[in-house]
Amino acid sequence: MELIYWWMPMLWAPLAAVTAAVAVLVYRRGRRRALEGRAIAHSDRLTALPGYRTALARYRALLIAFAGLAALVLVAGVALASRPVATSIVYPQLSNRDIVLCLDVSGSMVEYDTELVEVFGGLVDGFEGERVSLVVFNASAVTYFPLTSDYGYIREQFATITGQFLNEDIAYFDGTFFGDGSSLIGDGLAACSLRFDTPEDDRSRSIILATDNLAVGESIFTLPEAGELAIEAGIRVYGINPGDSSAREYLARFAAEFQGVVEDTGGSYFGIDDPRAIDSIVEQIDAEQATISRGAPQLVKADQPVIPVVFAFLGLAGLIALAWRLQR
Amino acid sequence: MTSLLRKVKTRLSIHAHRKVRGMLEGEYTSVFHGRSIEFDDLRHYVPGDEVKDIDWKATARMGTPMTRRYIASRKHTVLLVADTGRDMAAVAASGEQKIDIAILAAGVVGYLAARHGDLVAILAGNAEHTEYRRPESTDAHLERLLQLMASRTTLGSGRSDLSTQLSYIAKSFRRRMILVVIADDRVIDQVQQRLLRRLSVQHEILWLTVGDADPTSADWTAGDMYDVADGAELPRAVRSQQHLRAEFSAAALARTAAADELFDSLAISRSRVEAEADVIPGLFRLLEGHRHARR
Repeated sequence: MELIYWWMPMLWAPLAAVTAAVAVLVYRRGRRRALEGRAIAHSDRLTALPGYRTALARYRALLIAFAGLAALVLVAGVALASRPVATSIVYPQLSNRDIVLCLDVSGSMVEYDTELVEVFGGLVDGFEGERVSLVVFNASAVTYFPLTSDYGYIREQFATITGQFLNEDIAYFDGTFFGDGSSLIGDGLAACSLRFDTPEDDRSRSIILATDNLAVGESIFTLPEAGELAIEAGIRVYGINPGDSSAREYLARFAAEFQGVVEDTGGSYFGIDDPRAIDSIVEQIDAEQATISRGAPQLVKADQPVIPVVFAFLGLAGLIALAWRLQR
Repeated sequence: MTSLLRKVKTRLSIHAHRKVRGMLEGEYTSVFHGRSIEFDDLRHYVPGDEVKDIDWKATARMGTPMTRRYIASRKHTVLLVADTGRDMAAVAASGEQKIDIAILAAGVVGYLAARHGDLVAILAGNAEHTEYRRPESTDAHLERLLQLMASRTTLGSGRSDLSTQLSYIAKSFRRRMILVVIADDRVIDQVQQRLLRRLSVQHEILWLTVGDADPTSADWTAGDMYDVADGAELPRAVRSQQHLRAEFSAAALARTAAADELFDSLAISRSRVEAEADVIPGLFRLLEGHRHARR
């Protein structure tokens, strides 16, 4: 708890002191000068009465309480004017991420895609400010949904695509065949790199690219060219390659190329054989990204007016009640 | 300067009933001039005259009551003892200024005395300053006395302290006088009691109390109120409380009873007036009481 206008109490303290001093002086002078009202002689006839003494003591107590409440209201007012704030340290970068899930939807990938979507669906629950997009590609890339922080919508879309995966509903790869070949990974990565709609904003950008890297046909972009594109845009690419297995030795060259491209963008490469490994991989990516994207800690100040306001209100209510009591 | 004496005369002749005026004169006569031996003349009876002064033979002759008048053996001196401290500038029970009531009372007494050929003197003052004016019996002199009382008594005057005036009298006057003390609802302290006891041996003392205001009065709940002695304020919220009013009037009764007892023990006649309208009946009561006390 600290004060934004820390000088406010120092301004008010002498002001209040001067006002009090002037009031005392005026009161004293007023006493010395001619008095107002009726002049009564031998007031001790009244003031010596025990009833008068107790009544006077009660009256004085009321006056003191009145002064105390007035001071309370003043202090609360000054406290309020000084703007008390609670400071906290936040890492704003953390919720500044844009993540594009870039999924190869060729037949062999469905199992992995399902797992990836499911795991990501779980992660979304912990997101706050992050934006997620889902792009599917085969011969051509289709935006399943664009970058959004509407997590309800994201969960809904994830549920839809999971359902389509499991029911082998072909709807999920609608529009992914406008191209010459299949699993055109270079084109897929390039397309995903273009899905970041705010290139000038200071956000961390990453693509989670899942593909078995079995490119067939002529792509417009080669994988290294797409990698260059991502580097230019400052995008980190995380590669998940279920095709990278010892059983497929002949694909080793492609796998090496994939790994090289991914690591050039600053991302990581995961060659796996079992869809269940996706879980730990996504966690790893998330954690890695969190550390990377955690920017300089920022001091956030939030106004905390509740306590002074409550005191000021209570003091004011008390003043009104006492004023009424004193006037009676 | 308005004539204070004219006001006294007006009050005597108009506001107060003629009959009362006559009674008051008769009362004064019988109290202070009733016991001379030398017969002067006869005059018509006025209420208040001593019954034993009625000349029954003359009454039978004239068909109307006649009273014998005697030549005063000597001229009396009436000494008005007036407090002109700031206490007397305060408010009386009626809401008038106490000093106005005091001046009216002094004027009536002085006028009666002057009409009977007696001399009127004044001793007026406060704790710091005491003034004496020699005895005379002219209207002009009486007017000056009243003006003195009026001009000396303000809220800025000195503290009231009657013992100063009483000890002055005890020290300065040898001859016997009629003292008419005009004071208020003060407490007569030990010093003053001793002085009064001492003075009552030498002089005849008549004591007129001008009633002080009741601070708890419902008429005065609005507005400020303070004590003239020290300027201390009486907060409205405190003094206007209902239970205090009852407590105050009970205490006032007790105080009056105590004062009556004290004056009885000092053998001093006393009467209390609260308003200007009450002055003439009050003086009548005072003289009446004094006459009976002397029996």
